[in-house]
Order: sequence, then structure tokens, then C-alpha cells
Amino acid sequence: MNLYILRITLRQTVGQRRTWVMLLFASVPVILALIFRLAADADENRQFFMDGMDNLVVGLILPLTALVFGTAVLGQELEDGTAVYLLSKPISRWRVVLEKAAAAWITTSVVLVISIGAMALILLAGDAEYRLILAASAALSFGALAYVSLFVCLSIMFSRALIIGVIYVFVWEALITALINNARYFSIREFTEGVGDALVDDSTATFNASLNGTESVILLLAVAAVTIVYASYRLGSFQLGDRT
Amino acid sequence: MTTETTHTTEPQLATDVRGLPSTLEVRNVSHWYGNLVAVNDVSFKLQPGITGLLGPNGAGKSTLLHMMAGFLKPSSGQVEIIDQSTWRNPQLYRNVGLVIERESVYDSLSGYDFVLFNARLHGLPHPHEATRHAIKLVDLEAAAHRTTGDYSKGMKQRIKIAAAIVHDPHVLLLDEPFNGADPGVRVFLMDMLRAWAAEGRTIVFSSHILEEMEQLGENVLVIVAGRLAASGDFRAIRRLMTQRPHTFSIRSSDNLELARALIAANLVSGLDLENGVLIARTKDFGRFTLELPRAARRADIDLTELDPLDESLESVFSYLVEA
Repeated sequence: MNLYILRITLRQTVGQRRTWVMLLFASVPVILALIFRLAADADENRQFFMDGMDNLVVGLILPLTALVFGTAVLGQELEDGTAVYLLSKPISRWRVVLEKAAAAWITTSVVLVISIGAMALILLAGDAEYRLILAASAALSFGALAYVSLFVCLSIMFSRALIIGVIYVFVWEALITALINNARYFSIREFTEGVGDALVDDSTATFNASLNGTESVILLLAVAAVTIVYASYRLGSFQLGDRT
Repeated sequence: MTTETTHTTEPQLATDVRGLPSTLEVRNVSHWYGNLVAVNDVSFKLQPGITGLLGPNGAGKSTLLHMMAGFLKPSSGQVEIIDQSTWRNPQLYRNVGLVIERESVYDSLSGYDFVLFNARLHGLPHPHEATRHAIKLVDLEAAAHRTTGDYSKGMKQRIKIAAAIVHDPHVLLLDEPFNGADPGVRVFLMDMLRAWAAEGRTIVFSSHILEEMEQLGENVLVIVAGRLAASGDFRAIRRLMTQRPHTFSIRSSDNLELARALIAANLVSGLDLENGVLIARTKDFGRFTLELPRAARRADIDLTELDPLDESLESVFSYLVEA
């Protein structure tokens, strides 16, 4: 596979303003970590790192970064008509969706890894915490995979995918999942935390996940697979001038 | 199929494809958006050559072209290119090039990279060679390495055409291809399309400009209000258009006297007097415009205003529907 769609999408993404805005957004926990490091006790650095990861990175920066990149990589082209250059080619629709989702996933993961890498450098410098950092990065990348797949799918289905995604993140994941116990089986945030806890495997550093690692991995992969397959099907029926 | 195999292994441009079964067929096709019927039971079959889709804005030309390109599902009927259905059939694009009306291209890419990207997506074995050739065909070599975001509207149009022809398609569909092109570029593009058609390709372009049809459309399909109003040789359709009745509104120093003079000179087929304005209908546009001032002078009447009332394309097309 030559991955031209992935390469061109990454090239376009790097030059876009939204990428720099998201990097700025992802620097918020880094700035907070810096302030905490300067002001608080060094003994609490590890706990602050985990709290920041759970509440700020997993709860906010991961879904919003995935939302911005996931809805833009293909949705923007469907809106402005440039998707026709992709779709008027003898290539399968699943390949288009897969490469577009991969571009969004790579971009989201890079932004997140930069963010938590800098956070870890500030808060955990000098400590042998590489396992914790690697585990957290891997969990976030896993979560990003499901998020971007979902958001790419939404961007094919709706022209207002960004708003629908915001509702999913702030109403469903943040509110309804907290109120209704079984809703956790439909929350990518819960799956991400489950993978995080399984990978970190440390009772002193936990995301307090409500799902175990196996459940979480299966559910994350299921979300990614189902949304990619459905997105490919919907893209096959894409009609010019028919966006709702 | 044989044509596809030949095509993908020989991606060079300017290949003589005469004799290949380049055919586009639209059978009883309709498309509606909710209650609005955009295309209504249209049928035609095209052979190699240039065909113009002519009609006023909103007539359904783009809807029809999008269905031909596989980017719109017919609500009923069938569209086929080289015996393949166009809907949900990506392999079709091995033989089809498409230029949409929208101006947008990948603004961050250079013209060269944009065409190269298209060549690679087509899986051409020599994408750089095909890219250089396509850019040369649209005469954009000097600006090939500038980003398309800095291109003028006409240059964007040309790079879009280069991207559409990079894989040497048998069928080329163009939606309003001359929009934004200056007269020189327009002539250049028309010559290019003529040369392409002469090699046996089927080229369909849409336009609402009669002059573009006159210069390029050997065969014309006139679309009005979603229906196929006329089809065939452009000259015959043009003749029908010029022989239609024309209506003028006239203000003068004495409308009643002028009416008498026009009837006496046998210049009009009908007359009305409405709110101080004389409405005159004639079937001979040339004679009427020549003789009206003479008739007025003879009757010693001052003409203060003369307006043609039905010169819009819409009225021309409406007449064709009625005819």
C-alpha cells in the first residue's frame, strides 16, 4: 500500500492553523505542571501527574484533539468539495477512510505524547517512571484510535459533526456516564482509562477505571472497527450537494 | 475488461483511442430533492465527440452531470459509462475524468504535487511523466511549482483539468469548465478539448453561455427545468432560438400613432398598450430593429425608450420547451 492519502493528509495537517491551536491547547497541562512543580511539594508530583492525566488529558484534551482532527481530515474536504479529487479515483472507500483516520490518529497521538511527555519531564524528572509514561502514552493512543474513528465516521454522516462530537464528549461521557452505571460500556473515556490502568499496573497510580483491561481493549477495537466499516459504507454513497 | 487493462498499462496521454467503445448512456433518469424535481425523465446516448449541456442556472445541468459522474444516485433510471453503472462504482474512474464547478483545490499543494497526487491515486506506473504531460497540455508549466492557493481562478480551472486528464480518460465530464477563464485561456482550453475529442474521446461539458456552446458544442443537449428540451446539432437549435418571437417595450411621443405605423409597415405580430408603454411582438428581430426608427421618423414620432423584454437565456430556453 502506497499510503499517498495518509501522506498528503499529514502534510496538509501540519500546515494548518488548527494543528498549532491544538498544540497550544495541549500545552495547558504542561503549564499547570510547571506551576505545580515550582509551588508544591515534590512528593506530590506523581499524584498530580496522574490527576492531570485523568481529569485533564483523558477527560478533555484527548477527546477534543481527536474531535478536531477526526472531523477535519475528511469532513472538511466533503464540505468544500475537494473530496471529489479523492473519490473520483479507482480506489476503495475503506482505504480512503482508513488512511484519513490514520492521519487523524497519528496527529492526535503526537500532540498528546508531546503534552504528556513534557508534563512527565517536569513532574517526574529524575524518577524512574518510564514505564508509567510509556503506559500512559500507549493508553492515550489506544483511546485516540477509537475517538478518531468515531469522529471520522460522524464527519461523513453529518456536516455538523463537530457539534455532535462536543455533545458526545461533554454530555454523554462527562455527564450521563457518571449518572448511569451501564453507560460506561458506551464511553471511550472509560475504555481508555481501563487500558491505562491495565498497562500502568500500579496501585499507587491509577485512573480508577470501571472496566478491566480486556473489556476495554475489546470495546476500543470494536468501536474503531464498527465506525470505520460504517464510515466506508457511507462514503461509498457520498452525494455531491447532499450534505445535511 | 480490455479497455481498462489497456488503459492502466498505457497511461500516456494523447493515445489514439479511436474505435474504443466510449459511450455514455442516460436512461429515463430522474432526480428529486424532497418535493423538488431537479431532473425529470431524461434519456440520451452519447458517442465520442463533444457534447454540451446547455441550460439556464438551476436547470438541472449539474445534477445530471453529477449523476453521470457517479456522485449522485438517480432517484429513478440508469446512467452507464462504457456499459458500467456509474453509481457506487469506483473502478469506473479508470476511464472517466471529472472537473467539478467548485473552485476549491488542495491549496497547500503546488500545482505539480496536486496533479501528481491524482496520478498516484490512479495507480499510474509513471506518475511524474503523466503529471508533466498533463500540466503541459493545460499550458501551466511555468506556474507548476507555485502553491495552488496563489493561483488565479483561471489557473485553478486549468490545474483541475490537468488533474482530471492525467490518467488519459476515455470520458471527460466538465461542469462549467470555462468559468473564470480569461478569453485567451478559454480559446486554449477549447482547442485542447477539440483535439481530445478528435482522438475519439467522449467529452461532456455544461454551460449556461450560448457562445461557449456555439464554439465548442458539436452536439447539444438543452436542459430546461430538469427536462431535455432539445438535442442535436447546435446550429439547428440556434436557428430555432433566433426565429422565436421577440417582445419589446417602447415609449414614444405618441404610442397610438406609432402602433398604427408599425401595423401599416407589417412589422409586428401583436401589440398591447399598458400604462403608457407600447408592448410590441415580432417574429423578425432584424427587420423590426432596422425598420422601427424609420417608421417612427416617417410618422414624425420621437422614440424615447426601447427595451427588449425577453432576451434572457431563461426566456430563450422557455421558448424551446414550448417549441
